[in-house]
Amino acid sequence: MEQELLSLQDEARENLQQLAEAGQLEEFRIRYLGRKGLCSTIMRELSTVPPEERPRVGQLANTIKAEIEKLFDEKKALLESTGPSGAQGAGSIDLSLPGRYPERGRLHPVTQIMNEVCSIFEALGFSVAEGPDVEHDHYNFEALNIPAHHPARDMHDTFYVSEAILLRTHTSPMQARIMESQQPPLRVIAPGKVYRCDSDITHTPMFHQVEGFLVDTKVSFADLKGILTVFTRKMFGKDLALRFRPSFFPFTEPSAEVDIACVICGGSGCRVCKQTGWLEILGAGMIDPEVFKMVGYDPEIYSGFAFGLGIERIAMLRYGINDIRLYYENDLRFLSQF
Amino acid sequence: MKFTIDWLNEYVDTTGFTPEELADHLTMLGLEVDAVTELFQELASIKTALVVSVASHPDADSLSLCQVAVGAETLQIVCGAPNVRAGLVTAIALPGTTLPGGVKIKKSKVRGIESFGMLCSERELGLSSAHSGIMELPADTPHGQSLLDALGLNDILVEVDLTPNRPDCASVIGIAREIAGIIGRPLTLPVDSVEVQQSTAAFSVDVESAILCPRYGARLISGITIGPSPWWLRKRLLSIGLRPINNVVDVTNLVMMEYGQPLHAFDFQKLADKKIVVRHPRKNELDFTTLDGLVRKLDEEMLVICDGAQPVAVAGIMGGMNSEVSDTTTTILLESACFDPISIRKSARKLNLSSEASYRFERGVDPGGCLLAMERAVRLLCEVAGGTAEPGGVDKYYGQKPFKTLTLRISRTSDLLGIPLDYETIEKALTSIAFRCKRKDADSLWVGAPSFRIDIEREIDLVEEVARLIGYNSIPTTLPTVRMSYPEQDRSRTIRAEIGTLLTGIGYFEAINYSFTSEKHLQWLGLTEEDPRCRLVRLVNPLSEEQSVMRTMLLPGLLENVQRNINFQKSSIKLFEIGKVFTPKGDNAQPLEKLRLIGVLSGNRFGESSPYHFKQQSVDFLDAKGAVEYLLHELRFMGTAASAPLSFSPADQERMEPFTDPLQFLAINGKGEQLGSVAKVLSGVLRKFGIKQDLFFFDLDLDALCKLEPAAKNFTSLPVFPAVNRDIALLVPEQVAAGALVDAVLQAEEPLIERCDIFDVYQGESLKAGYKSVALSVTYRSAKKTLTEKNVEKVHTKIVTMLGSTFEGTLRTG
Repeated sequence: MEQELLSLQDEARENLQQLAEAGQLEEFRIRYLGRKGLCSTIMRELSTVPPEERPRVGQLANTIKAEIEKLFDEKKALLESTGPSGAQGAGSIDLSLPGRYPERGRLHPVTQIMNEVCSIFEALGFSVAEGPDVEHDHYNFEALNIPAHHPARDMHDTFYVSEAILLRTHTSPMQARIMESQQPPLRVIAPGKVYRCDSDITHTPMFHQVEGFLVDTKVSFADLKGILTVFTRKMFGKDLALRFRPSFFPFTEPSAEVDIACVICGGSGCRVCKQTGWLEILGAGMIDPEVFKMVGYDPEIYSGFAFGLGIERIAMLRYGINDIRLYYENDLRFLSQF
Repeated sequence: MKFTIDWLNEYVDTTGFTPEELADHLTMLGLEVDAVTELFQELASIKTALVVSVASHPDADSLSLCQVAVGAETLQIVCGAPNVRAGLVTAIALPGTTLPGGVKIKKSKVRGIESFGMLCSERELGLSSAHSGIMELPADTPHGQSLLDALGLNDILVEVDLTPNRPDCASVIGIAREIAGIIGRPLTLPVDSVEVQQSTAAFSVDVESAILCPRYGARLISGITIGPSPWWLRKRLLSIGLRPINNVVDVTNLVMMEYGQPLHAFDFQKLADKKIVVRHPRKNELDFTTLDGLVRKLDEEMLVICDGAQPVAVAGIMGGMNSEVSDTTTTILLESACFDPISIRKSARKLNLSSEASYRFERGVDPGGCLLAMERAVRLLCEVAGGTAEPGGVDKYYGQKPFKTLTLRISRTSDLLGIPLDYETIEKALTSIAFRCKRKDADSLWVGAPSFRIDIEREIDLVEEVARLIGYNSIPTTLPTVRMSYPEQDRSRTIRAEIGTLLTGIGYFEAINYSFTSEKHLQWLGLTEEDPRCRLVRLVNPLSEEQSVMRTMLLPGLLENVQRNINFQKSSIKLFEIGKVFTPKGDNAQPLEKLRLIGVLSGNRFGESSPYHFKQQSVDFLDAKGAVEYLLHELRFMGTAASAPLSFSPADQERMEPFTDPLQFLAINGKGEQLGSVAKVLSGVLRKFGIKQDLFFFDLDLDALCKLEPAAKNFTSLPVFPAVNRDIALLVPEQVAAGALVDAVLQAEEPLIERCDIFDVYQGESLKAGYKSVALSVTYRSAKKTLTEKNVEKVHTKIVTMLGSTFEGTLRTG
């Protein structure tokens, strides 16, 4: 019995020494230390040893089992800390190989920015409405206080389908469409495609805008500043400097343009901001009383503001895109960057 | 609108303010400054020089050999100008200088004699067209000085991007008024009041339409000598990019820039009957040659200025060749008039002709200011062209409007702007730019708008003025108090967002293409004229043929994208687009706009995934079908639930697309209608788009999809008893669809059958010709007990027998 125990110890020690990788440890543990392993088998056979020798042999058996366990733990710790050496052993794995996952696609950067813009306004309680790309002259111009032959039409290079039908030049027609069919209070944004017949390095004939407006009693220009300040800071960062300056849109009065501190140079002046330190990102204003009158709202009771912004421009600033034409080439080398 | 700081200072003293500060004030007043630039920087290195002595060049009669003093240095210069003489102060370009025309000056030898620079003419310096000799500067000009300093050309150009509502600021005085108001300094005008004695005029004016010509003023100036303008006048025009022409034309241009009032000078001798008539042209007068020498086609709606016989100018746009001021002109008739903006705008559009004058008339010129500008021009013409103003003149002012007085409520202004304001603040703001204010009652004031502010018509216009003048940035920033409401979600938007998430998740990139496209794409696809997708919404004024019709399909745009990507070595492509297609509904009606979804796939199945794990495999039809199945399952529009509304079916012949492979086409069907398709595009069609590899697509009517009810999510208790799997390998004729076997198993109405999957389809030499082997795995389970071999065997045998007899199949053994 004693002899058996000692040879078991030697055999185990030798086997353990030859173990080269962590994957083989379990096999060893089951053979020697498992519930049906050699150690347990010998322990069970202790009953065959004469009673007077039993304590001594039993102690020896325990010592040997403890010794094997100790050696096993040491070996295990060693193997697990160093791992297999290179290509040694059949079951080894090269951890430098790439992880396994299938490629996924991405949303177009314009969609990503559009979603971000919309969700900021949705969180502020604005609902989303979409309108037709091919519009009536009435909604695109007349209802927005831009009669025929108004010089403001110069600001819109319009594609026409027929005399009275055109491709909308802005998403503002949705102001008139919604106000015509609903009563205040209103908080609405209208995202979508818009078209201008203009094409060069900074203009594509199609681009995306989000129009927004809020109409209620006692809405003020200060509120317009508040909402647009919240929006710009969410979009571009909370410490961003911004300014409101007077401008002109026929459907708002007072009208404003919103500039943010140039995100490229931080305001010190660069090519992108034309040395001004400011970037124009939004047009806005208090809805003109004429627009209210045309949809039957009493401007003495209701007031409101409207704003519009270009998605491509925001994406260009956010991602540093330098050529607007890239948006519609759908080059995977471009799309996969966002 | 362009002006310079020096020019601005003629009307308001801006001492103490930098150009940048002034620009900032203008921008914050709503007159956005585009650029502030130092003028004439290309002349910065040109120096003044004194010609000390002149000798003839030994080898060339036409050249002079000059000693020229430039500060402390004396240089030898070879010069060919006829006017070079000792004592002349002129301009010199020293070696290393580049002239505005791009010529680089070097030390050189002219006919064997060294020359250390070049004496320049005004044309060489870009200052005028004069090139008969070198520039002549006043004799007391110190030499060695910068030419810019000597000429007072050190000036700053400011460019303002004017909004259409502020024609009053299309003038230096208009800009100066805004600056004067904001910095609190007085505005000084060269002429600020005038009257015209009409009784003694030596000519007559007849205005036939008071609506189209509210005011027509004219004066006569005799004894004019046409010649170049004095330097100060040319400098003003040059500095804002206008070309000096002669003293008369230069004066009219200068005053237009100064007052914003376009003026026109006629050669009085050329006017028949000493007469001006403002009227429409007659039928025989429609061919008219304008000043620029072009023959213009007029129409009878346009307004023309005529003499006693014929048109001599297109009103407010451009003068005629027949009455042009020339070198021999001695008497001019100066016109200062006001025309209807819409009429001018229409005419300018029709003639495709715009000028500084038409720009101003289209936006609106102040009829009240006509005479001031005319008087200013008369005085200048007397000064710079030696003229004499004839006594008397004409002022036909039929369109005079009553003086505008508006009521402005203080409470209304405060409420709209969100800032408490009082009478004093409002009065101070408005009077700073020439408005007149008077208290009306406790809450309101009378406001009189100056006549040049033709944009001020309503109370809201005054509110904007107040906001602008107190400064937008002094208005507080608050958030509105609103009633709560739940913004309803548009289902189409939600589904589109979900589709985006799902398709990007399996490797598809989103594309966005232009809504307009080329008609030829539809021909390339082989669509017949009767195809509804060949009914097109056409643009009247497209940018190009490639973008001339609104798209009726999304596929062509994506095919172009695929071709582009392959060209740039990206041949593994999975793209999708969600976009509108357009169908006409009649000439003056909006078209029908419908949203569609399309996906295209081509090249390697695993794209950019690690090639170590994902071996190169080309996509096939089942990848396209799989993408749709996945998408529609996830949206719960397709699947095992009985309520799922969509399913696939092979298309019948008439629904087949002309551009797809008839053997690789599946229709996606809803209840009774086709909602989309999955297919392989014919290689012949692909070649027309420049694509040489296989391409598959799926296409869905998104509007129809959004109207469907998705299958409900209903919980089913988890099975308590184990399942039993049995495999069947069946040899069937090769035309039997494997899917039909599965359907037959599932529809066998055996309650124990839980599912049935195809796990292998094999066709090969070891099999009987014309046959294939389909291996099915059938899962049996009972909800009541653990199934025994016997239970399963009974059903399984029935199934195998059924399959065998239905599909002429035999059980495959070995």
